[in-house]
Amino acid sequence: MVAEVKQNRTLVTSAVFQSWLNRLGPLLGLVLVIVIFSILMKTPERFLSPNNLRIVLSQTVIVAIGAIGMTMIIISGGIDLAVGSTIALTGVITALGIHSGLSPSLALASGILVGGLVGIINGLVITRLKVVPFIATLGMLGVGRGTAKWVAGEQTVNMADTWLNQLLVMFPNPPWLMVAPGVWITIVLAIVAAVVLRNTVFGRRVFALGSNEAAARACGIATDRLKIWIYGLAGLLFGLAGVMQMSRLRQGDPTVAAGSELDIIAAVVIGGGSLSGGEGSILGSMIGALIMAFLRNGCQQVGWPNYIQEIIIGAIIVVAVAVDRWRTSRAVI
Amino acid sequence: MRRNLVLLVSITALLYLVGCTKPTGGNTAGKKLTIAVIPKGTTHEFWKSIHAGSNKAAQELTAQGTDVEVIWKGPLREDDREQQIQVVEGFTTQGVSGLVLAPLDDRALVRPVEDAKRANVPTVIIDSGLQTDATISFVATDNRKGGSLAADRMGELLNGKGKVLVLRYAEGSASTTEREEGFLTELKAKFPGIEIVSSDQYAGATRDTAKRASENLLNRFGDDVQGIFTPNESSTAGMLLALQDINKAGKISFVGFDASQSFIDAMRAGQLHGIVVQNPFNMGYLGVRTMVDSLLGKSVEKKIDTGVMLVTKDNMETPDVQTLLHPPLDQYLK
Repeated sequence: MVAEVKQNRTLVTSAVFQSWLNRLGPLLGLVLVIVIFSILMKTPERFLSPNNLRIVLSQTVIVAIGAIGMTMIIISGGIDLAVGSTIALTGVITALGIHSGLSPSLALASGILVGGLVGIINGLVITRLKVVPFIATLGMLGVGRGTAKWVAGEQTVNMADTWLNQLLVMFPNPPWLMVAPGVWITIVLAIVAAVVLRNTVFGRRVFALGSNEAAARACGIATDRLKIWIYGLAGLLFGLAGVMQMSRLRQGDPTVAAGSELDIIAAVVIGGGSLSGGEGSILGSMIGALIMAFLRNGCQQVGWPNYIQEIIIGAIIVVAVAVDRWRTSRAVI
Repeated sequence: MRRNLVLLVSITALLYLVGCTKPTGGNTAGKKLTIAVIPKGTTHEFWKSIHAGSNKAAQELTAQGTDVEVIWKGPLREDDREQQIQVVEGFTTQGVSGLVLAPLDDRALVRPVEDAKRANVPTVIIDSGLQTDATISFVATDNRKGGSLAADRMGELLNGKGKVLVLRYAEGSASTTEREEGFLTELKAKFPGIEIVSSDQYAGATRDTAKRASENLLNRFGDDVQGIFTPNESSTAGMLLALQDINKAGKISFVGFDASQSFIDAMRAGQLHGIVVQNPFNMGYLGVRTMVDSLLGKSVEKKIDTGVMLVTKDNMETPDVQTLLHPPLDQYLK
């Protein structure tokens, strides 16, 4: 009897410890990265300066907004490989919109909506044609990229200067914003998405779908419709990421963001998302995105060559997933 | 099911046979010459000028009685070697009369070009070198000279002393590496008072990667350096965007490479203090002309210089520079 209670207590404490580890793991990683670079750097005051923080935050926005959508998809047990293509396509669409005389807000809306449309098509292919998400979105990776090059006439699309170009500048106007407007947009979106996932019926259904699809269906969740919603919503976010990309370059570039889907997936995975579904958090994904941006920024300022940075990011992804596996295997026991 | 499979296989085989019976080479006199021009990418304005120049050569030659058609096709990204190799191989099997190629890599493209030679498709290399002697001619900018022109300008801007940052373009690109080396060598030889604080970071293939690298480097070195050099269009564009974002544009002496409308505007605004401009229009033009001359049996030079020039705010309005900056693209591109 006593032994049983004792065992229970250790189980409880280890569960508490684990849930803290889940939450703090990525944050700890981020702090570690920043501390290590501050030590390595000859000019740590530059690395830790508000200006550098502004730079890193602006550089993170595109991956972070993509990661919000990707977190929803990965929690639901899906995957989207077409994000990079969607970003290029929606960036080009927005640039073309401004170029052809649309008002910036309409161009912005059209970019976001095209992203949503791409997402809905992905959802339809996955549910109606019964193609697994990996393949469906692999197909869309090609279709989206090709369409982007096609509508852009195989060139970059230059357009007039509008307020859209100010979304990711380092020194925002008005100055009291402190960081680029795009950073604030990302923070607001992240909070909304976190609340939706944690506290709404929709959010709980996304988790249920990813944990056990058959059980979710048996509980009366219309899983197919839910999936289309998830991919559609995520698509809207990818569309916004495309607008941000265009804002950064001040042009629509159909070749941009190739491979950024892998950065985005890596951000979610480093942040504790599980590719087998049912797990993941918006906060974790945001920290994952920041870790990668700080790594890139730090490596460049220490003066390390690009390949070291690639090796480190690769290793961190593997370590993060290994920790994830270790956690799940402990949880099963 | 099985019958369908057999059908499929036989159709495929038939298609291959038809493909193979097409004449290869085809550089007999009096016939139409098809010249494939393969750039490194299609999105930079630089390549549009090459396209226009090669079209001009084709139009002139056709008017002179040699029927020439230019086919323009390249990889869309400037770092996709594999895609460019496939384009070269595609044209080889298609049996065009000759290739005019701007290789993305000085080694990766060697094999396909040698294969093309074996298949009787000769190659003229433009813009960037290739490590083989299986080509007819090398029509390009003297990149080393371009780099040293930039160094001279930098030395003049800084009065021979100060700190300079060089953001390289990409690993393995011969033309830009020569510019970087030309710049560094000339700067060291002529201006010993100037110190290079960083020259080991790369901008990467696109404006986006270049902007990111520039932001990170400027945060580290931005307050120390008085001069910056970038060796091509995308790295110059990325650096310019980064400088504009932190309101440093115009405060650091900035010498870039290649021309585009935004650089010309920046130069007018005093944010860019010099660009080394190549003559891509002439490069496309001479590339196709050299190819056709060689196909017609004329002897051609092994190396042809297409010219470089330093453009600054002071000389940018002269007619010579204006035609260089604004080649007649609309006239030759439809």
